[in-house]
Amino acid sequence: MFVEGAKEGFDVAVTIIPYLIAILFAIGMFRASGAMDFLVNALDPVLGAIGVPAEVLPMGIVRPLTGSGSAGLVADMINQYGEDSLVVKMVATMFGSTETTFYVIAVYFGAVNIRDTRHAVPAGLFADFVGFLASVYVVQLLFG
Amino acid sequence: MLNYIWSGLIIFSLVFALAIDSQELAENRFRNDAAVPVTVAFPDTYDPEARRQPIEIRLPPSEYRQFFEVDVSLDSTYEGTLVQTREGRQVQFSDEASLPEPLATIKSFHESDENPALRGTLTGAALSSGAARVTGGVQFEPVRFRKLNSIAQAALNFAETAASLALSLIGVLGLMLGLVKIGEEAGLVNALAGAVRPLLSPLFPNVPDDHPALANVSLNLLANVFGLGNAATPLGIKAMEDLQDLNPSEDTATDDMVMLLALNTSSVQLVPPSLLVAIMGLQINQLFFSITLATFFSTIAGIVGALVLSKLPWFRATAPHRVQSADPPPED
Repeated sequence: MFVEGAKEGFDVAVTIIPYLIAILFAIGMFRASGAMDFLVNALDPVLGAIGVPAEVLPMGIVRPLTGSGSAGLVADMINQYGEDSLVVKMVATMFGSTETTFYVIAVYFGAVNIRDTRHAVPAGLFADFVGFLASVYVVQLLFG
Repeated sequence: MLNYIWSGLIIFSLVFALAIDSQELAENRFRNDAAVPVTVAFPDTYDPEARRQPIEIRLPPSEYRQFFEVDVSLDSTYEGTLVQTREGRQVQFSDEASLPEPLATIKSFHESDENPALRGTLTGAALSSGAARVTGGVQFEPVRFRKLNSIAQAALNFAETAASLALSLIGVLGLMLGLVKIGEEAGLVNALAGAVRPLLSPLFPNVPDDHPALANVSLNLLANVFGLGNAATPLGIKAMEDLQDLNPSEDTATDDMVMLLALNTSSVQLVPPSLLVAIMGLQINQLFFSITLATFFSTIAGIVGALVLSKLPWFRATAPHRVQSADPPPED
């Protein structure tokens, strides 16, 4: 019985490979091209107006795209600003409160071969965005 | 949708990289065709026979700034090695030296595993045996299509990461799905489904009352709540498979599937993920409350987002359950 289920797990892992390759490959290109830095710079004045510090913006953009990338970003910011700084608390809260949306979508829909994901991406990104803002304001409220 | 995002990311990256590369070529930012002015000092005086000898490289600041049209501060000297071969003399900067821009970029462009140091050909230097210092220029290999090269590299790296990521999931997937199978046979999953139905069924309207999908959804959410990311993924996949069984369409997501996804990406979490604990250590205790609060808001947003978006005409029209009921029932 157990073996039957475990075999299923193997099939699932193999099924999701093409989906993961597609999405990670595109995200890797996006980061390497410098387009991500460009996006961060373009959004900076907009978010500054609603009280979001510029330092946490890269996290808001990286978080839905890559889990290991955003973990690296948290570690990097701890080195740069120290564990006790407000911005580190904000990015750590962001890391803890949202998921790697594109990874989850690629894995979950890849496993059942869904190609038309309908409103999954906008709904997931909306949740991420609210999580992002909530992290900033909650940390400001508790520690600011 | 994912297809559009995927191709959008790729096209945008390519266009962006191409724009940056052509701009760099047009302004000749790396001075591909000229030699950087340098003064090379020999602590042990110049020896024409030695294949490698230590040197100190000085980049005259004002000439350097004018040459690259940049405003950077320079160290007084940089450690290096002079390598003499039949083809000529090469100035090699020490791998540890912290180089000014744009030399650092030129270094990272040419660097390889066998040869990480920045090196260039020494030109215009009249060297005689026993000399203590010499003035000349260093000509580096040209830098062209920097961004295009790096996205090609990144694409290959990430394709590899994707495959190893999926393979590393095999173990947990096998274990968890095996356990769930036993739970199913033993009737545990059905019992759980009965318990959580009142809570979850408003969010998953297309799951019939006697179906185990809700139980797997709740197992997945529980694993998320306790920060068991590794266990949550297989359980979520299991729940997704159950929802797919109920899906009249082969390849179009149902509202229920999107709801499951929204709940997962906003990740209801009471225990912080283990990766974050590894990075932050005990500091994480302070953040317990802020994470719980932020995750509460993002989960609400996920639920509301999934519900509201599913009511929009564009997404409503493609819902598999609606499409199916609108079609006339098949003959026989």
